[in-house]
Amino acid sequence: MSFLQSIKNSVRSKSIHVSYVNVGSCNGCDIEVLAMLAPRYDIEQYGIYVHNNPREADVLLVTGAFTPQWEDKLKSIWDKIPEPKVAIAIGNCPISGCVFNRRGSYVDPPVAKHIPIAAEVPGCPPRPTEILNAVLSLAPLVFKDYEEKQS
Amino acid sequence: MATSLSYYLREMARGEWLRKFLFVKTAPYETPPHFRDYPRLTGKECTHCLACMMICPTPGAIEVLKTENGWNPVIYPGHCIRCGLCVEACPEGVLMSGRILESQFYDNTGYASTFHITVDRVRCMRCGNCSVACPVNKEEDPQLAATGTGANDAVIMRVKGGELQILHEEKCTGCKTCEETCPNSAIRVARVVEAIHVPEEEG
Repeated sequence: MSFLQSIKNSVRSKSIHVSYVNVGSCNGCDIEVLAMLAPRYDIEQYGIYVHNNPREADVLLVTGAFTPQWEDKLKSIWDKIPEPKVAIAIGNCPISGCVFNRRGSYVDPPVAKHIPIAAEVPGCPPRPTEILNAVLSLAPLVFKDYEEKQS
Repeated sequence: MATSLSYYLREMARGEWLRKFLFVKTAPYETPPHFRDYPRLTGKECTHCLACMMICPTPGAIEVLKTENGWNPVIYPGHCIRCGLCVEACPEGVLMSGRILESQFYDNTGYASTFHITVDRVRCMRCGNCSVACPVNKEEDPQLAATGTGANDAVIMRVKGGELQILHEEKCTGCKTCEETCPNSAIRVARVVEAIHVPEEEG
């Protein structure tokens, strides 16, 4: 491993920029993401920063059961995130559609059909701790040695 | 002024303070023991009454499957919303989650669920599919014909006098097979859950 790569690894594991997108959830999971920001769970002490701008993000947190309006938009948000990037499905909705996935509803879960999802955090909503653990354990794993894996 | 400033400077120059300032982080909070997590099996014997499946508000979250050890409920984490209703509804205490079972034991609380069947007279075309598909009807009257007509009045519903009539709503177990077989979505099963203080079987 080159020296530059080791610096990149250590920086990327301590500075994770997160963007979240709600593709039709009930806001419960968004509130749990918000609770991670608040002092009790305080994700910024781990170097995780939340933006609403995909161009700044490394990790995309997807909540919601994928309503038809997101058909083209979620893919374009995913394409805007610079490499290396990873998407995490937060809550039951992006995994199975949860209570919205009923006969006659227009949701189209799972979100993994539309963008590549690296990890799923089940729960309705998941605890902030569970989301935090998922981000903290997944992001360094995916971003480690990214340049060396490319070449 | 000068003393307090020097106090702060000396305090911040300490190695301990610097180390804490730069590196110490609070660990992600532990999940408290009373957290109502995904239901787990207690090891008691499941009698396959399906009360857990009937009370579950989420599609596809719980199934009672047969393994070599007999029937056992299986929870699917991507679907389960951790409401704990299956734990409370189970008459045998097969499932456990958080301290639901303890509080249920001390407070003598429980759920009584009944099922209310409504038929849309405009949409219903009297095909009798629902009466034939109903598993309770099958036990009450195995002779129920393919058009849902028969002479036995012990069934939940059957086509009687050119109309689909609900005869014994109280026998419904809430499986919603009739809803699924109805070609016109004319029949609806609504679950009516009441919280009760003293469970009937104990009272």
